Amino acid sequence: MFRVAVRSLLAHRLRFTLTVLTVALGVAFIAGTNIFTGSLRGAFDALVSQPRADVTVRAGASDGGALQATFPANLVNEIAALPAAASAVGLVGADGAYVLGPDGKPVGVEGPPARGRSWVDDPAISAVTIVSGRPPAGPAEVALLQSTAETAAVNVGSRIRIDTPAAGVREFTVSGLVTRGLSGGLGGTLTVFDLATAQQVLTEPGTVTAILVTARSGVSQQELADEVAALAPEASRVETADQSRDEVVQRIQEGFAFFNTFLLAFGVIALFVSTFLIFNTFSMLVAQRSRELALLRAVGASRAQVSFAVLLEAVIVGVLAAVIGLLGGLAVSQLLRWVIAALGADLPGAPLRLEPSTIALALGASLVVTVASALLPARRASAIPPVAAMREGAAPSPRSLRRVTITGACLLIAATIPAVLALRLAESDGERAAQLTGVAAVLALVGVLALTPALARPVLGLLGSAMRGRIVGRMASANAVRNPRRTAATASALTVGLALMTAVSVLGSSARASVEDVVDTTIGADFILLGPGFRPFTTDVFQSVKDLPGASVVTYVRTIPVSIDDAQSPVTGVDPRVVTEVLDIPMATGSVQDLALGAAIVDTELARTLRVAEGDSVSGTFVNGEGSLRIIGTFEPAGPVRGFITTLPTVDAIGTLTRDTAIYIALQPGVSPATVRQDLASRLAAYPSIDIQDQADIKRDINGQFDVLFGLVYALLGLSVIVAFLGIVNTLSLSVVERTREVGLVRAVGMSRAQVRRMVTLEALLLAALGTLLGLALGIAFGMLLQRVLAPQGISVLAIPATQLAVFAALALVGGLAAALWPAWRAGRMPVLTAIAQM
Amino acid sequence: MSDEGASPAARCRALTKIYGEGDTRVVALDAVDIDVAPGTFTAIMGPSGSGKSTLMHCLAGLDTATSGDVYIGDVRITGLSDRALTRVRRDSVGFVFQSFNLVPTLTAMENITLPLDIAGAPVDEAWLTTVIDAVGLADRLDHRPSELSGGQQQRVACARALASKPAIVFADEPTGNLDSQSGAEVLSLLRRSVDEFDQTIVMVTHDAAAASHADQVVFLADGRVVGSLHDPTAEVILARIGGLSSPQDSH
Ligand SMILES: Nc1ncnc2c1ncn2[C@@H]1O[C@H](COP(=O)(O)OP(=O)(O)O)[C@@H](O)[C@H]1O
Ligand SMILES: [Mg+2]
Repeated sequence: MFRVAVRSLLAHRLRFTLTVLTVALGVAFIAGTNIFTGSLRGAFDALVSQPRADVTVRAGASDGGALQATFPANLVNEIAALPAAASAVGLVGADGAYVLGPDGKPVGVEGPPARGRSWVDDPAISAVTIVSGRPPAGPAEVALLQSTAETAAVNVGSRIRIDTPAAGVREFTVSGLVTRGLSGGLGGTLTVFDLATAQQVLTEPGTVTAILVTARSGVSQQELADEVAALAPEASRVETADQSRDEVVQRIQEGFAFFNTFLLAFGVIALFVSTFLIFNTFSMLVAQRSRELALLRAVGASRAQVSFAVLLEAVIVGVLAAVIGLLGGLAVSQLLRWVIAALGADLPGAPLRLEPSTIALALGASLVVTVASALLPARRASAIPPVAAMREGAAPSPRSLRRVTITGACLLIAATIPAVLALRLAESDGERAAQLTGVAAVLALVGVLALTPALARPVLGLLGSAMRGRIVGRMASANAVRNPRRTAATASALTVGLALMTAVSVLGSSARASVEDVVDTTIGADFILLGPGFRPFTTDVFQSVKDLPGASVVTYVRTIPVSIDDAQSPVTGVDPRVVTEVLDIPMATGSVQDLALGAAIVDTELARTLRVAEGDSVSGTFVNGEGSLRIIGTFEPAGPVRGFITTLPTVDAIGTLTRDTAIYIALQPGVSPATVRQDLASRLAAYPSIDIQDQADIKRDINGQFDVLFGLVYALLGLSVIVAFLGIVNTLSLSVVERTREVGLVRAVGMSRAQVRRMVTLEALLLAALGTLLGLALGIAFGMLLQRVLAPQGISVLAIPATQLAVFAALALVGGLAAALWPAWRAGRMPVLTAIAQM
Repeated sequence: MSDEGASPAARCRALTKIYGEGDTRVVALDAVDIDVAPGTFTAIMGPSGSGKSTLMHCLAGLDTATSGDVYIGDVRITGLSDRALTRVRRDSVGFVFQSFNLVPTLTAMENITLPLDIAGAPVDEAWLTTVIDAVGLADRLDHRPSELSGGQQQRVACARALASKPAIVFADEPTGNLDSQSGAEVLSLLRRSVDEFDQTIVMVTHDAAAASHADQVVFLADGRVVGSLHDPTAEVILARIGGLSSPQDSH
């Protein structure tokens, strides 16, 4: 039987190459993420040996970079004098040190922090090490992270300008390039100054933001930590080397876990789609070989042996796909490393390696997919009676579609239950609603897939009626509905990918529309000034624009974090007298005008989470210690400002550094925004990192972020769509072989090669159209449901992206055309006589 | 019968077809000369493997000759491109094969008009009605091939071959798969189309009864023409087959 299986594989090389490739695509994805995770584990091992101070004490709570709390520098000496301490080094670090490019705009800071820090000249405790040049010395030198230097296109010796958080724009000479370990975080830029310069440009002279303490020999990390903790101010964090290492590992693992799950999901989708292809391939080969299989039965093979022969082929395909998939996986993981490296993180020394678990995973996934998809065809093969060997052209009688259709209809009806439940729960339990939406989507998808064979005839009949008039079109559409199951399985692969892409597209355009809606309804300001990545900026900015001619209101807001029950929320200080002219805060209860020192309003969502209401007092940890806010009202979390809103003096009372988060400007009626914008630009020339945005800019900015995310999703879903097109190639070339005689006949009676090619191409187009139509319909339904379910999360407006969906459809049809190229060429080349001679 | 002066509907000169090389070399046709007069019914007979199908394929432009010339009407089809050959088949030749004559996805009517539809040519309704009446399938036109009997399928194939008024119709053992009753129906249909519509027909057969419907029988053996008969009867043909060992024209 083994020989039978191998021979059959060899006889249908092309078909099996296609099948193997499609499975391998999905496996490569899954294996790739797995290999990458494995090599990360290696990176963690390297992390353990990375230099780190025995104990680190940091000033203030971690606040996401909004504000940098500090220690007085003399605390360093006090800690160094502790009995358990051998030495202590002060460190200054802060976000918001923007390296400016030649255009005067910050480089590489879309989101991740622009970190600045002081150089620590002790390789035993600092992970930042020089790779070329030398450490920075003096007020005019800076060392840059390698990737930062690359992004800014500078090198050792270059002069660059940096917009610093405490001293504005300054010019520096690049003294050297540095690397940072995994602990340094991913992405963003890093600038390194000597300690005195760092204090000047990042915080204030006489301050440090962290102290690195080395233990005296024989003293444990914990003993040292206890002593340091007793001396350190209340709002500081004391960590041993082990603790911070664990924290870094955990942080990175969490980051990559999401990333991995994301990639895995697409691998699984691609594999799912390839099951249709495998199923089709095996079904068709079994049908073609029914006489041969019957002959095997006739000469004494048992039913089990016949099934076994078919399954054995599936196993061989699975193993080959796993091997190719593993090789592809190595490529994928290398690609991931490049991406991570491009984001500025060094993954120390762990080589990519194939671990047994990865091999097992790839083999397992591949075999499950191939064998499971070949089960039904194998069973069908074993059901071929030996007598079929004697019958002329033993075509298996078409099986009834009734059962599968009823199942499909039931599933579709069943899908409405979780869908309705999800809509009900959307408001109160978003997470449960999302899960139910997922269940509904899977049920509906499987339901539609089961219904597709029954749908194929009417839908294709409708589509085909357009070309009914011409014989080639008539034959193409007749061929397409000839075997509804096969057609359905081929089209379904496309349906799955397109449904997902369409749902994402509907969700994306709804999100955009919602953003625009929110900006329109909640922002009254004509201009908003923002720091890069929404980070706070110096109050000097306000000073230079506060008397802007033509402005009716110029007001700033300050946002700081507050930690309540270990969860952080933003507290924004506003000027209650004018804020309503630049921001529409939709109040649920109370009034913005009543805000006063210590009083706050809270968004309704946070109020629900924290279980607070008007009249309550909320206490939490602010930048400089414990404090409390009196709640005098609630507002809907619709606009750009969420969490708590209070007065500016309240925020200043609980913050340390005075920095603004945004400046809102409203214009007098009749003033030209373009003129004001020019004026603003010249007034802000000294602050190149400040963004001047009008409403359109804000919309574009937010939507630009969506574009990146959705672009990535489309690219990954494109994988499964490619698999679907390979499926069309496969089905068509098998169909063409099956119809050798028919092609010969029509060629004999005068059909030209071009007409034969057109016939096959039209059939491919019909298959693609069927898959596209169902995919679009299903995807729009998914998208609408998702939008409804996510409406409480802010996607309040439904927008069907007609143009984009039309582009999808057009691309799918072009894909169908491309898929037809090879089978059509083959059909056209088919020698007339071979076909006739078979008679 | 046609007058000898008219130019032949099809003819071949020194037609040679060789398959394979070396050890596997088979001379299927060896310098065959044949003339098919217009409006006649020619039967080609010979034992299995004598080259009947090969001859028909070469005459009909389905296969290319190794050497020699083939003409359909005045057109020399040897050396034509695939595209030109296809056009000749479509416009000037009709076919009836032994089996699998019809496209299974098309109805009987669609199969009949298939060559016309392929050519995008207008259908001559009156002629079509005549042909359909002649094959006697007016009530079966909406059926698919799988819903027709073998004899009915062959009659549909004959109707298809006649529908485009081709210069010549080739039939390769059209009755080979039929019971004698259905076979006789198909043969008389072919005969009538020669008599009533002046159609030219070349039929390959190894059945003497079938060949007796023809105006002329050409005998093949080992790829060579070994004789011919005019206006034969089955008895004469049978006698002739018996005496094939001494090839000689019967005139
Ligand atoms: N495609 C081919 N390749 C090689 N030999 C062939 C081929 N077709 C026919 N032949 C050989 O040519 C000879 C004539 O065949 P054919 O024309 O089919 O005979 P008939 O139709 O009279 O039975 C036979 O010997 C046959 O084996
Ligand atoms: Mg023959």
